[in-house]
Amino acid sequence: MPVLPGRGRSRLRLGLLIFTAVAFMTLDFRDYEPLEKLQSGVRDLLHPVISVGNSGLNSVSDVWAATFGGSHLRRVNYELRAEIDRLEGAAIQDETVRETYRQALEAIDIDYITDIERLTALVLRDNTGNFNDNTIVIDKGHSDGLVPGMAVVTGAGMVGTIRTVGADHSIVTTISNPELTISVRLVSTNEVGLGHGVAGDHTRFVVDTGLRWPEVDPRAHLAEIGSPVITAATSRYPANIPIGRIESVESAKAGLVQIVTIELAVDTGDLNFITVLLEEPDDLPPSNSNSPFGDITPMDNLPPANVLPEQDAP
Amino acid sequence: MTFLKVTGLFIVVLTAQLTVFTRIQVVGVAPELMALIAAMAGLIAGSQKGSLIAFFVGLLWDVYLTTPLGLSAISFAISAYAVGSIEEGLFPSTRVQTVVLVMAATAISLIQYVIWGGLIGHNHLLSSELPKIIVVASAINAILAVPVTPLMQWILKQSESN
Repeated sequence: MPVLPGRGRSRLRLGLLIFTAVAFMTLDFRDYEPLEKLQSGVRDLLHPVISVGNSGLNSVSDVWAATFGGSHLRRVNYELRAEIDRLEGAAIQDETVRETYRQALEAIDIDYITDIERLTALVLRDNTGNFNDNTIVIDKGHSDGLVPGMAVVTGAGMVGTIRTVGADHSIVTTISNPELTISVRLVSTNEVGLGHGVAGDHTRFVVDTGLRWPEVDPRAHLAEIGSPVITAATSRYPANIPIGRIESVESAKAGLVQIVTIELAVDTGDLNFITVLLEEPDDLPPSNSNSPFGDITPMDNLPPANVLPEQDAP
Repeated sequence: MTFLKVTGLFIVVLTAQLTVFTRIQVVGVAPELMALIAAMAGLIAGSQKGSLIAFFVGLLWDVYLTTPLGLSAISFAISAYAVGSIEEGLFPSTRVQTVVLVMAATAISLIQYVIWGGLIGHNHLLSSELPKIIVVASAINAILAVPVTPLMQWILKQSESN
């Protein structure tokens, strides 16, 4: 076998590394389960070390924050924001209840909010690294009953969904992630559409699929600015979780569809505690066997050809 | 022994990156310690061993990122290979060269990360913040390269002699 000169061996090794990395990326992209388990295993293995490091190094970062970050002001600011979030969430819920009651009088068709078991968790850290990946890490895992896909909320509304679960920590994809689509209901018009976060803006959410632009008298049929938006009954997440309030409604695609921009109820960039709703996601499309047309696939499972259905972020 | 030292270094740096440097930031940018270790590995251990070490540093970092496994690994390995080749071929090592090469390697790693990420659909990596992240993180790593060099030499030069 011919012996490669030094530079040739070096390039061959680099080529093999690139090939290996591409193979990993391909497998990860296809959600290859053993690879996910391997990653989860590594995170679980290192979690105790990182937890110890976290508690040990907290004082160092506290000193830094106090010196350069205005620690006291930030704390006061956080408390005030949490209070505003709570009040806004309560207002949206009140309005939703009133609106639902009004609509119930018109048609006996109410979405129920069932009692769902909850678990409060501490946010260990938000974005890992410098690139905003719209995730947070919480201190609860599968030993606490968490599974991927569960909804994560605060008093203000929807935060996101559990992405991966370790033994005693989990990664949450926040609602601001553009690749996480959620089926939502506009309370003022009762329309249901699919929405997602906006890249680079963790305070906005856009519903751009499933809402038709009214053919006649748009002003009378469009959702009101400032009205609440909640998770739809057809969503894989529990219904009636506040998403936020409508900021603007515009037409797109030659005036055929609505683009509804929502100001999120929760500021996902500044969270300390969250609550996980311990209800496993319902991935099966609801069906209506009594329908004369057979099974009816809900809108969020039958999107236009160019749009994916409600899905988790990759 | 050297394997244990390298593994220990990986864990210590990862812990620092995930804990203290999620809060200690300069103008909103955290040091890219994993990219620093990868670049230093290329400079000190050479293009062959350096790229291998950088690959595993990247792989470990990928475990904690939401981007696909292998994205940081490929970026770090290529950067380490590049700076390792330059260091081997062009000039004897000086402190200034180390600082400049670490700065360049960090910038190249981050740019590659965004480009490779964009190719596989992670377009959110390309944001208006990117130039700031590249400039600040590269500058921080260049400064950190000075105190980190003796530590990396202690760990990796022994590996060379072994």
